[in-house]
Amino acid sequence: MKFLLAVSSQEFSESTLRMGSKVAKSFGAQLAVVYVGPKPKELYAGRVSLARDTLAKWEIYHPGIEVLRWAFDDLKTSGFLENSDDNGFNPLNMVEEKDRYRMALPGSYGQDIDLILREGDIIDELRRECSEDEYTVSIIGGSKGRNMAHDLLQYLPTSVLVMKNVNLDHHYRILLCVDDSSATDRAVRFGATIAKQMNFPVTIMTVSKTEEFGPGYSGAAEAASQHLESQQVDHEQKFITGDPVNSFIETAGEDHLIVMGSSSKSALAKFFLGSKPMKTLEKANCPILVVRDK
Amino acid sequence: MILNIIYWATQRKWLLISLFLATVLYLLPTPQGLTAAGYHTIIIVLSTILLIIFEPIPLPAVAMLILVFQVLFGIATPNQVASSFMSDAVFFIMGSLMLAVAIVSQDLDTRLALGIINITGHKTWRIIAGFVAVCALLSSFIGEHTVTAMMMPVGLTLVRHTSRDPKKVAGLTSLILFSIAYGSAMGSIGTPSGGGRNVIMIGYLSQFGMGNLTYLDWMKYAYPILLIEIPLAIMILWWTFRPEKMILDSAVRKLKVQVARSGQITGSQITAMGVFVLVFLGWVFLSPKIGLGIVALMGVVLYLAMGLVEWQDLNRNTNWGVIMLFGSAISIGIQMKDTGAALWVANNVIEGLQVITSNVDFSRSFVSIFLTAGLTNILSNAATVAVLGPIVLNMGGNAVMVALSTALASAFAYLTVVASPTCMIIHSSGLVKPSDYLRAGWKMTVMSITVLLLFIHLFWPLMG
Repeated sequence: MKFLLAVSSQEFSESTLRMGSKVAKSFGAQLAVVYVGPKPKELYAGRVSLARDTLAKWEIYHPGIEVLRWAFDDLKTSGFLENSDDNGFNPLNMVEEKDRYRMALPGSYGQDIDLILREGDIIDELRRECSEDEYTVSIIGGSKGRNMAHDLLQYLPTSVLVMKNVNLDHHYRILLCVDDSSATDRAVRFGATIAKQMNFPVTIMTVSKTEEFGPGYSGAAEAASQHLESQQVDHEQKFITGDPVNSFIETAGEDHLIVMGSSSKSALAKFFLGSKPMKTLEKANCPILVVRDK
Repeated sequence: MILNIIYWATQRKWLLISLFLATVLYLLPTPQGLTAAGYHTIIIVLSTILLIIFEPIPLPAVAMLILVFQVLFGIATPNQVASSFMSDAVFFIMGSLMLAVAIVSQDLDTRLALGIINITGHKTWRIIAGFVAVCALLSSFIGEHTVTAMMMPVGLTLVRHTSRDPKKVAGLTSLILFSIAYGSAMGSIGTPSGGGRNVIMIGYLSQFGMGNLTYLDWMKYAYPILLIEIPLAIMILWWTFRPEKMILDSAVRKLKVQVARSGQITGSQITAMGVFVLVFLGWVFLSPKIGLGIVALMGVVLYLAMGLVEWQDLNRNTNWGVIMLFGSAISIGIQMKDTGAALWVANNVIEGLQVITSNVDFSRSFVSIFLTAGLTNILSNAATVAVLGPIVLNMGGNAVMVALSTALASAFAYLTVVASPTCMIIHSSGLVKPSDYLRAGWKMTVMSITVLLLFIHLFWPLMG
């Protein structure tokens, strides 16, 4: 299993990296840390690269390399990577591969993480990155971009964990949103794994627009509860009548990690009408993991 | 499948918009006073501007689209398109991009660093003055991006030696980077070889049979402007970005130690400088007969023949897409003139401006200076000259003066990251914000336009 984690700078990505790497660790997943920076206008790209070559001779590197250096050091400090004497990080080991740069890391570092540098539009570059490797989850910091929620869920082929408003000192609860969609099953398993490894209690929440909870809903809630039971995860169950998205947001507040399955609507329907996960992701004020079916 | 189509459409929306715009315009009746070929040329120019600004498809594709459309719309025959695609101006752009690689690869940046520091000493204001002056003077001969590429490491090394924490030296960083970028941009007006756009304008002038501007003529008009702008730019930058330290003694000392490690100047470095002096002499004395582009190519041949640069390096760092784009842009520019489209636009602009003033001189200055200075910040400096050149040259008046003022105004590319290669290069360091360009840029723009207007109305007429 391999997770993709996007960083932009130490200032904006610190909490994403810390919490994201913990989540990756709870799955025993490898981590690819990718820096996506702005791409120079094509009209000037050659001249910018000439200037960069000159700077590199003076050991002044691409700003993305400095961000990756910080991420690498932080992963060693936080214990995600083994802290050996061998530093391992060397800008001269950045290898150009098709449309990205990847650092060749020595020894066990190379098995645990990948450090990747890309330039361009964030969604486009993450999509390209996902075509390079089999990623299960993409982790990204919360952004105020209006269409970000839509684009992430529509165009990335992986599950998506968005680190909105993360407080590293906070002990989160997981809000596991359960319904009859086909991705719920996998969302429950993902939620249970994180809860167990990170010791987060779980609230299983099923929301129906009507007073009645159909067999699909109650069956999914029951299955979720059984799975958490079998994993010995501390949990409670809630059945609420009302608007699902608003109910999720209100219950989650700022102290939950929302976990939910992705929508099974068609791409066209999602493009024009949106979906429950998209709206929840857009409005949520806490970290949220939207799990894909496969 | 549907998802991929939706994604493609969102990523390529500016291609779709420009094709839609082109189709709508194509279906509308041809405006009065314009031939069908002229109207189609204008349609191609408008859609190309969108494609250059937003880059929804690779630039070489834009370049080829311009050529293809010229033939498909019946504007010119394939052979006419092919012959207008290559010109001395395109040779110059190709040659100057290659000369940049050849010069930058000589590691002369360390010499430059030592030279500047030895003259300026360790006071911050003197170092900044030195950076602006050296960048401006050098870039007037060897081109703005070449100088920026060599000076960036020197400037950033000084910053790094001052403090390892970027936040503690944010003011100093912006001050140094903008001194390099704006100094180089300003310098590029000094001689034709300062920037490809100057040569594009000279090319239009001679191709349209409207006059000739030699290397020395250009210098006679433009160099005094540059010399006056240098101290003004130093003051503007100093007042805009306040450095955290007024003396950089320890940083200068460390830089000297670092530079000293590179040893004595080598034979190949001296030869490389000698070749450039030859190229410069060629531009001054030979270019009226054989063209600026051919002289630049002679320089490239010399660098290659003497083994001062490898073809692989030249090839890797030369953006062929840009060369193709300017070939196509000049080609469509020539069609603007030949089809009468440029004259039609020029007349309409002057007529339109009569709402504000009936003074044709003012209308001409407005387009050649204000419109150019505005468009250069959106479209890039060279593309602005390629697009506006044929139009301003058809507005009447003294064509040589109009050509000069337009080319000079296109260097006032201070306001945005995308305005010029130098602006983009300093932005790629990740240390300056787009808002910094506005903070200093508007003052630079006002200053540059004022100086240019003074010269156009007071000094150039005296020079004859």
